[in-house]
Amino acid sequence: MTNLSLADLAGYLRQLGEGALVTLELFLASFALAFGLGVLIGVATLARGRLIRAAWRVYASIFMGVPSLLVIFLIFYGGSAMLGAVLGEFGARIDISPFGAGVAALGIVYSAYVAELVRGAIENLPKGQFEGARALAIPPLVMWGRVILPQVMRLALPGLVNVWSFMLKETPLVSLAGLQDLVASAKIAAGATKEPFLFFVATALVFIAFSAASLWLATRLEIRLDRGQRRDPARTPARAEA
Amino acid sequence: MNALPIDPALAWESLPALFQGLQVTVFLTVLPLLIGLALAFPICFARMSARRGLALPAETFVVFFRGAPLLILLYLVYYGLGQIEALRNGPFWIVFGSPFGCAIVALSLNHAAYMVEVLRGSLLAVPHGIVEASEALGITRRNIFLWVRMPLAIRYGLKAYQNEVVSFIKGTAIVSVVTITDLMAVANSIFEQTYDPFTPILCAAAFYWALVNVVRIGFALWGRWLGRHNEDEAVRAARAQAPLGISGEVLP
Repeated sequence: MTNLSLADLAGYLRQLGEGALVTLELFLASFALAFGLGVLIGVATLARGRLIRAAWRVYASIFMGVPSLLVIFLIFYGGSAMLGAVLGEFGARIDISPFGAGVAALGIVYSAYVAELVRGAIENLPKGQFEGARALAIPPLVMWGRVILPQVMRLALPGLVNVWSFMLKETPLVSLAGLQDLVASAKIAAGATKEPFLFFVATALVFIAFSAASLWLATRLEIRLDRGQRRDPARTPARAEA
Repeated sequence: MNALPIDPALAWESLPALFQGLQVTVFLTVLPLLIGLALAFPICFARMSARRGLALPAETFVVFFRGAPLLILLYLVYYGLGQIEALRNGPFWIVFGSPFGCAIVALSLNHAAYMVEVLRGSLLAVPHGIVEASEALGITRRNIFLWVRMPLAIRYGLKAYQNEVVSFIKGTAIVSVVTITDLMAVANSIFEQTYDPFTPILCAAAFYWALVNVVRIGFALWGRWLGRHNEDEAVRAARAQAPLGISGEVLP
């Protein structure tokens, strides 16, 4: 069936490996941005102000109601003009790379989901945690950093794992803006060798393997973060999401 | 550059084309949703079966079609299956030879894999005692499934189903890679003609947003109708869900 020589295959594999690294970098950078931005937005919009709540609703509604691909294209095509409007003459001359557009778009879109999770987790925390911190005169920054957010992370972890694996499956979209990632390399290899089946199945398996590995890690992390909560460490988490 | 980056004249002009793109997007949403749902039932039964010979293939199906990015599935069906000689000469080439057929196959398989998990989770959420009680009453297994388990499972799984449908609609935006002119592709082609990076894409965004929110409202009404026998409980459930955010939106 296959008409590939071993040397050819090695060459394509190297190219695919390089693409995979790009995909991994893109994914980790986007997730870091989404996570940081999401936690900030989640904490900031908890305030009672009506204006802030309305702004959060609009933000969440927009980015949860629009395809990521559209946001990627918007930032890729229109990013220079947007920067120009904000930063003036200097900003307009910055060229947006596919990688930058991808990180910005995925980061912004998924920050809405992360913020949602963080908000939910904070609101589910017992009020006594805030009152106790205040009664002990713990400064706000320490309260958030050492008391509230660690508990929030434990509560939000299953949701964050979902965001993680869902976002992973959306990273290939950036290849449509011209990024030479794993999927783009696979497409080139598939076209050149006339073996599309082989390369696309292999690419799919890479994603599945990465997803499975990170899920395994997440389960371990979940058990560890829960160690103060439950007496039975061998408890299997009820969540079996992929 | 004016304050609003939208050119109203261009937006007005491109409305008919965008509407046509929207129709394609809706078509590519509805058909795979139906096919995927129909596929999900037998696969879900196989997945929940005690026989390994049935459960393992079903599980493999779910892991593959749920774990692989949709873009790769689309490439796989569009480019990969054409490689198979038997398929190219067989009767199914009508489906696999056209971009629409390929997109529908890829989207349906992806949706089916997600729906298997949604269904399974919902069916497992039905309290076992209710099923046992029905068995004790001598109700046949088929009737238990149709009239006891499914009605409850639909209520338990409605939120997960909504999330899957919403993310599925957004996922259809990639079909332009196999030359289908859906909403996203129309916006892109207008951009390529005019080099206006904002107007067409923001208009398409508004269309997607409207479509997604129509679906959300539809699900909300459906949920209220399903819970009509117990308004109080529905209100309480909605309150309990409220801390999870504006609409309880999560990823499937």
